Amino acid sequence: MRFFFAAQMAWQGVVINPLRSGLTVLGVAIGVASVVSLMGIGEGARLAVVRQFESLGSNVIVIKAHDAKAEFMPEEAEELLERVSGLKYASPVVRTNAVMRWRRARGQVEIIGVSSDFPELRDHRLVSGRFFTKWHVEQRSPVAVLGYNIGAGLLGGRSPVGQTLTLNGQTYRIVGVLEKKGPGQAESIDDKVVIPYTTALKIAGKKTVDELWVKAESAKAADLAIAHLGRIYRRKLGFDVTAPKPGGGEQQQMPGKEGAEKPVETLPAPQPEDHRKEEKPALELGKDIITITNLNTLVEEADKANRVMTLLLGGIAAVSLLVGGLGIMNIMLVAVTERTGEIGVRRALGAKRFDLLLQFLMEAFYLSGMGAATGTALGIWGVNLFNRYGFNAVISAEAVRVAVFVALGCGLLFGVYPAWTAASVPPVEALRR
Amino acid sequence: MELLELRGISKEYRSGRGTVKALSDINLSVKRGEFVSIMGPSGSGKSTLLNVIGCLDRPSTGEYFLDGMKVDRVSDDKLSEIRNRYIGFVFQNFHLLQGLDALGNVELPLIYRGIGSAERKRRAKEALEAVGLSDRIHHRPSELSGGEQQRVAIARALVQEPLLVLADEPTGSLDSRTGRAIMELFQKLNTERGITVVMVTHDRDMARYGRRIVRLLDGRIKEEEFIG
Ligand SMILES: Nc1ncnc2c1ncn2[C@@H]1O[C@H](COP(=O)(O)OP(=O)(O)O)[C@@H](O)[C@H]1O
Ligand SMILES: [Mg+2]
Repeated sequence: MRFFFAAQMAWQGVVINPLRSGLTVLGVAIGVASVVSLMGIGEGARLAVVRQFESLGSNVIVIKAHDAKAEFMPEEAEELLERVSGLKYASPVVRTNAVMRWRRARGQVEIIGVSSDFPELRDHRLVSGRFFTKWHVEQRSPVAVLGYNIGAGLLGGRSPVGQTLTLNGQTYRIVGVLEKKGPGQAESIDDKVVIPYTTALKIAGKKTVDELWVKAESAKAADLAIAHLGRIYRRKLGFDVTAPKPGGGEQQQMPGKEGAEKPVETLPAPQPEDHRKEEKPALELGKDIITITNLNTLVEEADKANRVMTLLLGGIAAVSLLVGGLGIMNIMLVAVTERTGEIGVRRALGAKRFDLLLQFLMEAFYLSGMGAATGTALGIWGVNLFNRYGFNAVISAEAVRVAVFVALGCGLLFGVYPAWTAASVPPVEALRR
Repeated sequence: MELLELRGISKEYRSGRGTVKALSDINLSVKRGEFVSIMGPSGSGKSTLLNVIGCLDRPSTGEYFLDGMKVDRVSDDKLSEIRNRYIGFVFQNFHLLQGLDALGNVELPLIYRGIGSAERKRRAKEALEAVGLSDRIHHRPSELSGGEQQRVAIARALVQEPLLVLADEPTGSLDSRTGRAIMELFQKLNTERGITVVMVTHDRDMARYGRRIVRLLDGRIKEEEFIG
């Protein structure tokens, strides 16, 4: 009963000065809207990066040689499958270019040479035909699987499987077309031609490869495999593997000549578990001969960086939310001063301190509540607006929840002091004004 | 039967420059159904006395009995309840809430008594009728004349069915004709409903509507005059 009346009277307080209430509500709304939309942008960016990394395939480890002398024999990929437990698929990788001819058209295309494990390894599916087989690889067959864009371009959407094209003058049979991954996804595979690595080595005129891919059964297996692979390649490059080193780190570097002269020093001393993750990929060191990278880790790191960014944006927006909350406090304090007479009358007529506390608190609550509601609507509208201008913002339920919660919290928090002030004015004092 | 009994009441205000003695050693009794006028020059303590009587303020020393209850030392919330049940207020500048219409203003005391909407409205309309404002129920204070606003304030006091109505210069903001009409209304409440009225005024003519005039000077009762 009491609450109901307080709520009613608080509402009268809101509507009696629509302009002022409106501006206060707007202040809160802007705060909520900026939290919702800025966090939306941050979250959208994070999801985009995560999606991009995920398109690379899960639990994939990339072993890369940065020095011609350290390059791998293609057979090593198969050997790793046997030596390292927890690995399921493996492929050497040959990257090269070729002139492609299709009927009368010709042009440069990027070629990627891989084993028949490729679709499983990098999580690819085919829209038509099938992938080349182990047999094709062994036979160095002139067969090609086309990236989606290339495959779709040839016959205007009809499947080109069974047709032939030429690469550097040699005729290849098209056996399959990969499913679309999207622009920039999965190393832009949509615009590449995939052929057996044996055939690709012929085109490139090489015997060794500078890149190996392996896929582990699980994220945990990938972590263990990284450690094992680290030991294998350390030994291969002639390091003392028994020397202390960062165990199953996500990424391991084998220092080159300069480092080799004092191998133990160049390897970081053992560190506590949680510090290991802080290790920076040492690609920029230039001295590294071989890097072993767990793509899962890249996803995690990108994710972490973007989370920080989202929080940062949210933090900036939270400031405006706080300002909105202070606006409520300001307006309520003004109301208390301005309406001292009203407070006095109510007290004279029998209102208790608690009644006034409740009334003014509810008034603040209404203002913040309306602010939160309009702000959420405004934020959703803002996200859509951003997206029209090329952002990938998303409406995150979490952001809305946080913003609304903070807005209502601010309303109550900043409403308490003015409400308490209102309730504390002695009736005689109040009536004198 | 004494409705009000003040024994040795004094009130001091402490301010930066020292203490101001607004009331000193006031002894005053008012019987049920009386109509008392309080007169005195400005600053003589009339409003302070009325506020103490109205339980809006506590005396510094002395004892105050209202309808037999000792109320000079009760809690803030209890005083609110006492005001709500026993005392109706009428002020010089009406003190109506601008955001509410006449009916809303008259309903207010009943809201704090926890009475439901339908009952409240019925009683508020009755009270407005009693002061002759049935046709102004939905007017806001800004749409009413001074006399009409004071009638709304009186209706707001009436609706409480109080034992006591306290009026602090109720005609101070009105012209003399309207003022007399308001005074007649007080007189009617006093005689017809037996409501005790204590009124502050510095207008002799208005004071004579009461049956007794109490004169204050410098916070003390200077003299009392009974009107035959
Ligand atoms: N809150 C207060 N603080 C300090 N002095 C006050 C306060 N209220 C009243 N007074 C003083 O008490 C005296 C009586 O005031 P008041 O009762 O308002 O007089 P009246 O109503 O007769 O004009 C005056 O001198 C006034 O200045
Ligand atoms: Mg006065």
